[in-house]
Amino acid sequence: MSVPVTLLLLLILFTVISIAALFLRPGAAMTRGGKISAFLILFCLPILCMSMGVSSQLERSTSTEFCLSCHTMEAFGKSLRVDDPTYLAAAHFQNHRVPAAEACYTCHTDYTMFGTFNSKMRGLRHVYIYYFTTPPAPEKIKLYTAYNNRECLHCHEGARSFESGAVHNSDPDLLPAIRANKKSCISSGCHEVVHNVATLNNVKFWSGGH
Amino acid sequence: MLSTNPLEKRLQIAGVFMILGLLVEALCLVWKGPLAFLVFLGMGGILLFAGIVVYLFSLVSVPHAQD
Repeated sequence: MSVPVTLLLLLILFTVISIAALFLRPGAAMTRGGKISAFLILFCLPILCMSMGVSSQLERSTSTEFCLSCHTMEAFGKSLRVDDPTYLAAAHFQNHRVPAAEACYTCHTDYTMFGTFNSKMRGLRHVYIYYFTTPPAPEKIKLYTAYNNRECLHCHEGARSFESGAVHNSDPDLLPAIRANKKSCISSGCHEVVHNVATLNNVKFWSGGH
Repeated sequence: MLSTNPLEKRLQIAGVFMILGLLVEALCLVWKGPLAFLVFLGMGGILLFAGIVVYLFSLVSVPHAQD
């Protein structure tokens, strides 16, 4: 358990004990000092606990472990360990081009609760489908909208390998088109092998990096 | 267990809601499942919010004679 979570649990414990003490001796809140204490215990501390809790939950939901805690996502997690550098997600994960502990979120920054209102609603729908209906097979899962180059550019923009790469400079219109998201990095035939979960039965896996 | 004084009674009820909400919150912090965030907000958040509302309501609803 991480230090911030432990501290938050201690704060919650302190708040619960304080509220319990107030519950057992409510008359103590009738004095001037007691009213101030009651305000701190019954208003400030719970709001502090809630805010820190939301922050902690949001932080945890960016972790690779959290994303892969849904059975449906297991194949996508497995694809990060494919022993083939042409698999884009695997190459990024295994070479730490993305933080391994937050691999999914780094490339899918607008997914479900981190995206627009519609994305959040889709996230709730995913929860419903996961628990109450039959989730689709991993190979049937697609993004709702085309993958945005923005996700690649927030790391690669300005990088020498990207800016000076021979292929990226083979056509003077290419880099501007990539930056404007008019030519997709992924679906235009350049970096099209990403997770490819349908082919995982035919590939070798890297066992290192644990 | 609950006080007969209306203000004290409301403080106690607010306290019960908040303790339940905080326990749910603590549980969700150690629970690694995908539902933890929803339970955290859906149950813990509502219980805490209810406790705060009852507490604030107790401040404005008790007659001045109680002060």
